[in-house]
Amino acid sequence: MIAPAVAVRSEVLNAGVGSMDDDVLVASAVVGAVEMVLAWTRLRNQERTATRRLHVWIASFNALIALALTMPLLLVLVLYLFPDEHASLANRGFPLSALWAGVQAVAVLLAESTARFFFRWLEPQAP
Amino acid sequence: MNRREFLAAGAGLVGAAATAGTLSGVVWPALTREDLLPGAPPDVRLTPDAWQTADDRLSFAVLGDNGSGGRQALAVAERMAFTYQTAPYGLVALLGDICYYGSLRRRFDTVFRRPFGPLLDAGVGFELAIGNHDTGLHFSDDGLSAIEAELELLGTPGRYYTASHGPVDFFFLDSSIPGLYGPRASEQLDWLGDALASSTNQWKVVAMHHPPYSSGQHGSTPGAQEHLVPLLSRHRVDLVLSGHDHDYERVEPQHGVTYVVSGGGCKTTRVGRSRFTAVAERTLQFLHVEVVDSHLTATCVRVDGSVADRLTLRAREGS
Repeated sequence: MIAPAVAVRSEVLNAGVGSMDDDVLVASAVVGAVEMVLAWTRLRNQERTATRRLHVWIASFNALIALALTMPLLLVLVLYLFPDEHASLANRGFPLSALWAGVQAVAVLLAESTARFFFRWLEPQAP
Repeated sequence: MNRREFLAAGAGLVGAAATAGTLSGVVWPALTREDLLPGAPPDVRLTPDAWQTADDRLSFAVLGDNGSGGRQALAVAERMAFTYQTAPYGLVALLGDICYYGSLRRRFDTVFRRPFGPLLDAGVGFELAIGNHDTGLHFSDDGLSAIEAELELLGTPGRYYTASHGPVDFFFLDSSIPGLYGPRASEQLDWLGDALASSTNQWKVVAMHHPPYSSGQHGSTPGAQEHLVPLLSRHRVDLVLSGHDHDYERVEPQHGVTYVVSGGGCKTTRVGRSRFTAVAERTLQFLHVEVVDSHLTATCVRVDGSVADRLTLRAREGS
């Protein structure tokens, strides 16, 4: 969850900028903590109701792939496609961390939906 | 394993392979290399018209490839404003690629007014050499329309032109292929030859986007050393400024001409060393140039204010 923020931060520092706000790193850590709770709760529930443990692992693996793809992809798309809107928001004091966290939250939502979709498909009789 | 398990696991494995390819090939490079994070514009007030320009004196800044409007571009612009406070200059020579991620007409505030607000308020002038990202589809209707918009917005007289400031004659070129090196090159090269021949000022500085000599990601521009370099040497040009590669490079004098790449206006890419390299550094930077009497001093200022390189040239005999 924090890999994109760490990569961007490291690139900025390598480019010679002496310091960089930790805003996106903090936002990633917060969303990451929320995702950790969500994933743990989901795993516990699914393990309790699954007929085969393999189904839980397949659904979780697919969720992880969805998260790994959508999180940086959505960040790039949102930042790349609407740079002027973000600059305008920044001018009005809108924190970048809110945008960053919002995009990551969407990725988390997609990942959790993926896990639930595959688990339901593999366990049609689950409550 | 039943059919559903096989399909679900297969979807995961195929997704993992596709994700690895997409992330490593497209997404991660875009996220880390591009300057996409918005930031705050420089909050600095500058004394207007604080520079001195005379027949034997000029200060100017040089900035290349600054067109993101992102956090790094704003940091470089802020450093330029800080530098103005201690060493004022009245002109910024832009080396092209002043607008990424869209048209300049749409992004003018983000990539120009916002970062350079303090300098614009202080009355600093901007002059532009067109870059490849500014032209897009060069020589198509869209490309020409984009160029015309840029020239109009920055008040630039044409795709290639001369400008005299104090003791320096500037020659701003449109180096976009085929603008300078392609089949239609002769028109601009003929113009450049005539303009250089009729130049009477003490210093001749050529500004263009594509570097004739570079050890950066793009490297030396094909055709430049065959078509352009002999012309520059023949007319005893003092300094050639270019961007395109996102780094700082100073080249050992080639046939009497000093070449500098200053393309670290908002993002950086790797740079190596070649037989002609004097200094090469991957860094966000701009150049501050001072001409006083018979000396020209160009200082490469990093975004943190430290000095990456300093170059001093003496005016040629008889110039």
